Amino acid sequence: MFCLDIYLQESEDYEIHMTRAGFKDCARFIEDNAPEVVHVKPGEKIVGARIIGVPPVPIGINEEKGTIMIPYTKPCYGTATVEIPVPPEEREKIRAVKI
Amino acid sequence: MKKAIILLGCPESPSQTPLAVYAAYKLTDMGYQVSVASTPSAKKLVEVSDPEEHYVQNKIDIESCLDELNQGDYDFLLGFVAKDAAVSYFVTFYHILQTKSLALVFHRDREKMEYFENTVKENTEADITSARAYHNPTPLRVRLDRALEKMEKSDKRNQENKKDKTEDS
Repeated sequence: MFCLDIYLQESEDYEIHMTRAGFKDCARFIEDNAPEVVHVKPGEKIVGARIIGVPPVPIGINEEKGTIMIPYTKPCYGTATVEIPVPPEEREKIRAVKI
Repeated sequence: MKKAIILLGCPESPSQTPLAVYAAYKLTDMGYQVSVASTPSAKKLVEVSDPEEHYVQNKIDIESCLDELNQGDYDFLLGFVAKDAAVSYFVTFYHILQTKSLALVFHRDREKMEYFENTVKENTEADITSARAYHNPTPLRVRLDRALEKMEKSDKRNQENKKDKTEDS
């Protein structure tokens, strides 16, 4: 199974669009820049990690690039917007939990 | 036994650790089995403050706790909210647990404090108590005492109402 935390530790194939930001700004960035946006509940498991945020939490999907864009929050560092490549089945799983 | 979880944020504010130990003491006194979920650095501060674990026996990592968290795991959520990330964590824990919750909102900057308070208010039905605090934990301690007292009274009333209904039927 795809695991976000391990992926971010072991891979360099991801893009950080914003860092040490507020959740609201990261959510707006995703809404404004992702070709497809799916909203999920906070706490929903996305690519193996619980998504942290204020509802509805936007997840960006880019089918052409095969990536997703998510808000990624750490207690001391605030929220970052991370874009990572994920397999098609993971993108389908995200669409299946949309609200 | 009722279970409570205290959610600690980034330990940047000096008020957080003494208040966490104090809140654990109060909740234990109210009959809760208390767990404190925090970052490794916040955990170390609690460990040094309470070396013999008189007040905090269960310390858990916030990330692994969140991964395994399920609705109904705790009867009460108390969250320390002093940063934007802490708002996100509190709201997320609230939505997973769906239980009685209290957000303890504090910051030295009034505008930020009000923003955190409003975000929690708009996205949860949790009780909220707040104070401008950074070094001095007293304003928050006073508000926490009041909020817990109010909660205890309301719990007692609910229990009595339930008892009355059972006796009537």
